[in-house]
Amino acid sequence: MNQEISLVVNGTSHTVRVGDHWTLLDLLHDALDLKGTKDGCGEGVCGACTVLVNGRAVRACLTLAAYVQGAEVVTIEGLARDDELDPVQRTFLELGAVQCGYCTPGMIMMSKALLDENPNPTRDEVREALAGNLCRCSGYTKIIDAVMAVRGAD
Amino acid sequence: MRLPPFQLHRPETLQEAVSLLAQHGEEARPIAGGTAMVPMMRFGFLRPEHVVSLKGIPGLDEISESDDGLRIGALTPLYRVAGSAVVRAQWPLLARAVGSVATPAIRNSGTLGGNLSYAEAASDPAPALLALEASVLLTGPEGDRTVPITGFFQGFYEADIRPGEVLVEVSIPRIPAGARWSYLRFAARSREDKPLVNVAVVATSEGVRIGLGGVSPTAIRARRAEAVLQGPGLTPQAIDEAADAAAEECDPLSDLMGTAEYRQDMVRVWLRRALTGLQ
Repeated sequence: MNQEISLVVNGTSHTVRVGDHWTLLDLLHDALDLKGTKDGCGEGVCGACTVLVNGRAVRACLTLAAYVQGAEVVTIEGLARDDELDPVQRTFLELGAVQCGYCTPGMIMMSKALLDENPNPTRDEVREALAGNLCRCSGYTKIIDAVMAVRGAD
Repeated sequence: MRLPPFQLHRPETLQEAVSLLAQHGEEARPIAGGTAMVPMMRFGFLRPEHVVSLKGIPGLDEISESDDGLRIGALTPLYRVAGSAVVRAQWPLLARAVGSVATPAIRNSGTLGGNLSYAEAASDPAPALLALEASVLLTGPEGDRTVPITGFFQGFYEADIRPGEVLVEVSIPRIPAGARWSYLRFAARSREDKPLVNVAVVATSEGVRIGLGGVSPTAIRARRAEAVLQGPGLTPQAIDEAADAAAEECDPLSDLMGTAEYRQDMVRVWLRRALTGLQ
C-alpha cells in the first residue's frame, strides 16, 4: 500500500508518495534524495539518523513516514543558511570534533535540540543529551568540547 | 534496510482501532511511538500484515490528577511523563524512572503504554509502577477491563493483553504523606543500555513495597524481601536480610550483559543501596 505524505523539510513543502512500511529515514533518502541523515543500527541505539520533528529530536529510522504527515522536519542539510554554517557545525569544524564523520549529522542534530531547549548546558547535561549518539571513533571529548564552545560562539 | 511491507491503518477512534485489531487477529499489531515495534519488525521478530497506529487517536495522551491519584493516557510520550510538573512534584519516583528510559530521542517518541505493553523485563517504568501499585485500563472487543499492574506482566515479553485489546490508561494512586522512595538503575556498560538491575522502593508507615526489573522474566514485586522488612522496619540487619531474600526470589537470565549469578549479586547490592538511600 502507498500513501501520500505532505510535510515541510528544511523550510520547503513537499508532497511525496511512500510505502506504508516506509520510515522517515526511507522518505528522506529515497523520496527526497537527502542523504545527510545516516543509517546506522536501525534500532534507535546509535543516533546516526537523528533529525528534528516539530523541534524535537527523534530517530528517523524508528519513525513511520506516516507520523510526519503535516510535520516540520529539520535535517543536517537544513542548518546552514546560504554559505553560513550553523554555530554547532562551525564549532565541530573548528575544534576537530569530526573524525570519520558518520556520527556527525546525528551528533549535530542532537546538540541542536539540546541547545534550542537549554542554551547554557553544563558539561554533564551535554553528556546526558548525547548519551544516545555513538561515535565509534570514540571522539567524544572533542564533540562535547564543541557543544560547550557554542555557548561562547554566536 | 527497509521494513518488511505491511498495510498501515490509521484509525481516528479507539473503537475503530479495536475493531481493526479484532478483525485481523494474529495478522495485526498495534503501534504507538514505534521505538519497540519498528526494531521488532525490522529484525523479523514480528511480521504483521496489518499495523494499526494508535498515535492519531485523540484523547489518549493526557495526564490528569484527581483526588484518587494520577491518570496517564497510554499514548503519552515518555518525555512528557518525566517532565510533567504534577508527576515531578507528587510522584517523583515515577518521573525519575520514566526519565531514565533509554536516551532523550527515544523518550521523545516512546510512550508509557507502549513501554508497558512491550513487557520488557528491564523496563524502567515497570518496577516503579509495581512499587506504586498502579493499574492499567484496557479496552477491547468485550469492553473495558482494569488490571492491577502486579498481575499485568505474565512472562518473557508477555502481558495480560487479550486479542483485540489495547492499553488505554495507567492509574496511579496517591502516595501517603511522609512516604519515602528510591529509584536506582544499574547498567553495567553504558548509559544507553537497558538496566541490568533496577530497583524501585516506596516506604510508607504501612510497609515497604519493592519493584525489581531485569532479574526475572518480567519485572516483579519482591514480596519476600518486603515481608522481611514488615516487622523490624529498615534496620541495618533487616536490610541485609531483605537484600538476600530478594536475590533468592528473583529468577534471572544470563545474557551478554551479565550472568544470572552476577545479576543476583547485583540485586543484593542495589536493593541495599536503595533501602539505605531513601529520599
